[in-house]
Amino acid sequence: MKVSKAILGAAIGALLTGSAMADTIKVGIIGPFSGPFALQGKNFQAGVEAYMALNGKSVKGHDIEVIYRDLPAANPAQSRALAQELVVKEKVQYLGGVYFTPDAMAITPLLKQANTPLVIFNAATSAIMTQSPLVVRTSFTTAQTTSPSGKIATERGVKKVISAVSDYGPGVDAEAAFKKAFEAAGGQVVEAIRMPLNTTDFSPIMQRVRDSGAEAVFAFLPSGPTTLGFVKAYNETGLKQAGIKFFAPGDLTQESDLPALGDGAVGLLTTFHYAVSHDSPENKKFVEAATKAVGGADQLSFPSVGAYDGMHVIYKMIEATDGKQDAQKAVDAVKGLSWTSPRGPVSIDAETRHITENIYLREVVKGPDGKTYNKEIQTFPNQKDPGLATQ
Amino acid sequence: MQVVAQAQRVPAPSSVGNRWLRDAIGLALIVAAGLAGYWLFPDNLALLTRVIAVALLVLSLDLITGYCGVASLGQASLFGAGAYAAGIACVNGVTEPLTLIVIGAVAGAAAGLLMGTIMLRAHGLAQLVLSIAIVQLFHEAANKASAYTGGSDGLAGLTVSPLFGLFEFDLWGQTAYLFGLALLVVVFVVLKFIVSSPFGMLCRGIKQDPIRIRAMGSFVFPVLLKMFVISGAVAGMGGALAAISTQVVGLDSVSFELSANALVMLVLGGLGSLYGALVGTVIFMGFEHIVSAINPFHWMTMVGALLIAVVLAAPGGLSGVLETITRSARRSKGGRP
Repeated sequence: MKVSKAILGAAIGALLTGSAMADTIKVGIIGPFSGPFALQGKNFQAGVEAYMALNGKSVKGHDIEVIYRDLPAANPAQSRALAQELVVKEKVQYLGGVYFTPDAMAITPLLKQANTPLVIFNAATSAIMTQSPLVVRTSFTTAQTTSPSGKIATERGVKKVISAVSDYGPGVDAEAAFKKAFEAAGGQVVEAIRMPLNTTDFSPIMQRVRDSGAEAVFAFLPSGPTTLGFVKAYNETGLKQAGIKFFAPGDLTQESDLPALGDGAVGLLTTFHYAVSHDSPENKKFVEAATKAVGGADQLSFPSVGAYDGMHVIYKMIEATDGKQDAQKAVDAVKGLSWTSPRGPVSIDAETRHITENIYLREVVKGPDGKTYNKEIQTFPNQKDPGLATQ
Repeated sequence: MQVVAQAQRVPAPSSVGNRWLRDAIGLALIVAAGLAGYWLFPDNLALLTRVIAVALLVLSLDLITGYCGVASLGQASLFGAGAYAAGIACVNGVTEPLTLIVIGAVAGAAAGLLMGTIMLRAHGLAQLVLSIAIVQLFHEAANKASAYTGGSDGLAGLTVSPLFGLFEFDLWGQTAYLFGLALLVVVFVVLKFIVSSPFGMLCRGIKQDPIRIRAMGSFVFPVLLKMFVISGAVAGMGGALAAISTQVVGLDSVSFELSANALVMLVLGGLGSLYGALVGTVIFMGFEHIVSAINPFHWMTMVGALLIAVVLAAPGGLSGVLETITRSARRSKGGRP
């Protein structure tokens, strides 16, 4: 092992001198840039490019270089290999991106040794934050975006809700978060249905919703064809006409899916941290820049804003460390950081390192141009992640 | 599945000494290539370790597909059984890496026994469909049992203790790689003995003509089942190695995709040859890694093009091409074909 120790030393040496001498600071972004989730990866890229277009490509004289690595689906082993390569070979000082939770989980054990912070642009499970003190997250958690809908439901006079979620991690999280929030507000979840992930025929589910006597249905499904099928079934089986309300987190009505959902989506109530239609000067500037980067206004959705704010955090970290590689100092520097994001006022919680943000209730409405969009109709300010707060 | 149905070319019988020499050279080449990878790509050891883990999976698939003629699109269930068993054991306090490999092998063998028992009831296309069903069931079971497996969030928090109490599994991945390489070499040697044993020859015979083997007085089912168990142990070790080196186990390790990829790598390298399994894995994963780094947005197209090119130009796989070349070289030297 003598020789390998020498290599180890050389690697560490290269790492240290590389970062101290170089004027270019590298940021490695891991995301799904190909395959079925390519659009989400493209939104990562759009957010990053929009931020760099609006805020320049250097901080305090240090040039920033972004290196993208593709991870098409949840694959922790591949994720770890990519992160390791980015750190050891490309000598990145910051890691960012990560769409799926298991991929983030695979990277966290490396961070301390790599002396690299990880800024998560999406992966939305509460537990990631507890895995390493060098993780900062600028997206949301399912519990965070879901919880307000419990209050909203009771406010709208709904006492009994049936929940229907896809049977996988985020679905089960959403079910639990809604149940907790709704029961705390005095409501009752009469039945909790878990649907297999690849369900495409939802009419039996709709029948169960109808039979349960609930006044509203709370749903969570992965975005894409399944959501489409679910919303279609909700409309076509007459549940909508029967006045059964529909609550869901905003993943279901993300902007890039709205054209496919068509008029059927009109009237759906979702809670989320960002709508492309958000009315603020910051968002106008962001949407303009990000649209240019993503290639079409229809394709812009929430991962882009996570990436945009993630880059903001990374820029602040570089500023604080003046280009020197010091992960702990970088992370400490952004604890409690607050700024105005395209989604509204946000801050990094000093304790959990997760973003505190407004959650909006949005209704899908038809715009004057005939296209549907998410219209924000109510704001729940400064929501923390309830999943982390309870731990 | 014409690949499977394709008649096996029986190599010209060579003297025993000759075969030993050839295997020794082959093994030396593997070790040399492995060490070369270590020296030449010290920054890519995590990837190379993953290549070794997948190579074990592809080797295990070769045992049942290449040697027994049982096509499977569900081999990842065995890999995943090993990965999850090692992962769960590790989370519950068994952190010694060699023990974890053994746990992975046992779990893989048990899964192989189960899978073999089910799959061998059917033949041909039905068998293939069964294998897909089994991997989907394993996948769903791992998803459902999220209290033990972490479900779609993955099983995290594996802390493997240093190998022999000395070498840590760290960021640079040297320990994991060398450990994996040693494991691969040992497994390869054992498998070489197995496939050239009378049992291995019987398997090949079954692949070519099961009815004739039965007529000769051998039982087909127990022989194939035995190979399934061996195959499971190998795949399980691959899974355990993946769990140890990445310290996280995800649902992808029991996915249909991984199973299909393994079959693609095997076909690429050449069925029915242990070297082919290794060559296919290295070429496929290496190519995938290089093109996805060059163009992270459209690299899948290039991988597709490579596969089409190989299937059209060299239906016997890359090891088939090598064999043709060496044979023609021997012929031109005046040796016996």
